[in-house]
Amino acid sequence: MSGENGDGAIEGDVVDDTDVAGETRLARRWRSLDRGWQALCLGLAIVAIHLVVYPV
Amino acid sequence: MTLLDDVRPYVPGSVLLGGGALFATLLGGAVPGVQPLVVAVAVGVVAANTVGTPAAAEPGVSLHKLALETGIVLLGAAIAIEELVAAGPTVVGLVVVAVAGGLLLSEAVARGLFRLEGTTPSLLAAGASVCGVSAVVAIGRVLEARGAALTFAAATVLLFDVITLVAFPLAGEWLGLTARQFGVWAGVSMFSTGPVAAAGFAHSPEAGQWATVTKLARNSLLGGVAVAYSVAYAARSATDSEARELWAEFPKFLLGFLLVAAVANGGLLSPAAIESITAVSDALFLVAFVGLGLSIRARDLRAVGLAPVGVVLIHLIVVSALTLLAVRTLL
Repeated sequence: MSGENGDGAIEGDVVDDTDVAGETRLARRWRSLDRGWQALCLGLAIVAIHLVVYPV
Repeated sequence: MTLLDDVRPYVPGSVLLGGGALFATLLGGAVPGVQPLVVAVAVGVVAANTVGTPAAAEPGVSLHKLALETGIVLLGAAIAIEELVAAGPTVVGLVVVAVAGGLLLSEAVARGLFRLEGTTPSLLAAGASVCGVSAVVAIGRVLEARGAALTFAAATVLLFDVITLVAFPLAGEWLGLTARQFGVWAGVSMFSTGPVAAAGFAHSPEAGQWATVTKLARNSLLGGVAVAYSVAYAARSATDSEARELWAEFPKFLLGFLLVAAVANGGLLSPAAIESITAVSDALFLVAFVGLGLSIRARDLRAVGLAPVGVVLIHLIVVSALTLLAVRTLL
């Protein structure tokens, strides 16, 4: 969803602005993040769910 | 417009990636000695070069890079920081020497031996020394490289990604390397992140972790290399400070990997949580590797010229031979 090329280290000013008019605000915000930040957010969200589901 | 409408374009491709991952898991489970991650790449390559990827599936298939990086973030839960710290200085030293030496070697070979001019030598050097296609694109942006130079360099790196993806696991087996030795060797010598992780996991899970961690250390140098090139070419834009460039090229998911490793090693995650997170990470890698296979298209590799192949081949032979010697001696 990031619309960028390369294998992962290319981050920065990546905003795929094609057809953004028909998107929800959440989708627009998500697409405005570069892929590295998206992966970080998804990964931490998954870990947070595990913290709740499998408490220490 | 609802959230469902936002997600809909990504469904066909996600189903394709998930189907390939499921097939790889089933085949890997049914045939002893067959690694599901290797099957995943093979399934993607065969599909891409026979029936091709349907246009409707393209948006979803493009998510494989996000899956790879998220898988790497979650891989942090399976990493023992003590072990990492113990081997850290050696691995970091190897990475820095290999990247700096590789850049100088490729530049010298490209300009001196093959008489390549313009930005092509730098694009090839960055791609081979730092992190594959993403380094080619990043350095190309810094140097304002022409489209043709970018295409040649990226196609050359892709060609070697395919070759090393097959050759390294075979070589590791033949050379009798330990999981750590092989992982670090692949992480220092191979080019793009996806193939490095795939080759590592093709050897063993431990080798896959070492390959990924080593490759992350290498990727983190991209910002510094970009700054060095922008200074060397004096082509830096007036508004971009060096610090900003360093940060722009820094792979942000690396921070997530470190954070998850800190959380797991800090005792905040139960063994059941770590086991489950590792399973999610493995599933994401499977999906990512199907996508990696789908991105390998024979027709793209035909854009490669002989001189760039010569430069990258010499780089690969010299760097992989020296780093093989180093990992056997030091690890």
